[in-house]
Amino acid sequence: MKWLDRLIEGRTRDLAQRSSRRSFLARVGTVVAGSAATLPLLPVARAQDEGSVPESGDPHSCDYWRYCATDGFLCSCCGGSASSCPPGTEMSPITWIGTCLNPVDNTNYIISYNDCCGKSACGHCMCTRNEGDRPIYRPQLNNEYNWCLGTQHQTYNCSVARVIGKAFD
Amino acid sequence: MKQFLAVASMLFSTAIWATDDAARARVDYALNCQGCHLARGEGFAGKVPRMTDFVGYYMHSEDGRAFLIQVPGVALSPLNDADTARLMNWMLTEFSAAQLPADYRPYTVDEVAALRRQPENDPNRRRAEVLAKISRQLR
Repeated sequence: MKWLDRLIEGRTRDLAQRSSRRSFLARVGTVVAGSAATLPLLPVARAQDEGSVPESGDPHSCDYWRYCATDGFLCSCCGGSASSCPPGTEMSPITWIGTCLNPVDNTNYIISYNDCCGKSACGHCMCTRNEGDRPIYRPQLNNEYNWCLGTQHQTYNCSVARVIGKAFD
Repeated sequence: MKQFLAVASMLFSTAIWATDDAARARVDYALNCQGCHLARGEGFAGKVPRMTDFVGYYMHSEDGRAFLIQVPGVALSPLNDADTARLMNWMLTEFSAAQLPADYRPYTVDEVAALRRQPENDPNRRRAEVLAKISRQLR
């Protein structure tokens, strides 16, 4: 079987001489990045990738652009972030949805104001801006009440502001 | 050649228009329905009716067609009649194309305008009645 060992060794050395791990990674990278760049061009609106939204401002501050219709405690001050719940709480799937103007690209984005539920109220960074908030007889556009619907616990902890798409102006 | 170009550009602009229509319907859905019905119409058992792979069944009867426009969330929504019709027609094919009847016809703006002026006051009872009738019909 020595001939097989020699053959494989020879081929492997040959390949190692002519190619590099970097070139392999570069090719894989091109395929991955290339498809990522191509897919959103399909005529289908996709859930907005949060990473592609131009950002400015401080997510710990009530002035942050995504919080334009927030009424509650900011999860970013409670151990979570502007788009994720603090550990030990559960994000309510049922929520209310509005738009906020992003000052960087002057575009309106669709924001989902999910509540995080399960523990006692967080108590930090109370933020009440209410832009676009409608009276309670428009319940799907009202932020006054507890949106902990469909979670195991109904106790409100804090609110996130997830970007889920771009709106038409 | 000129004819070909004319036809090609017509088809192309129709495609653009259709895409734009769908995109606008999707945004209207996100802003007016998705908060409860969720991103793909999956709803929430016991709280929000599921529309995914289901809502198309309503199109099997005139009563079902009427119900979908008279249900309070649709009838009383802030969308105008044309936007509501566009949203409903997009939603039916997007979430539940397989359940639509062979003779399915999209809502017209006039149909939506007339129906939503008589909102349903007891949607749970009416939904049960409408679905029981359709399920007997499909059996």
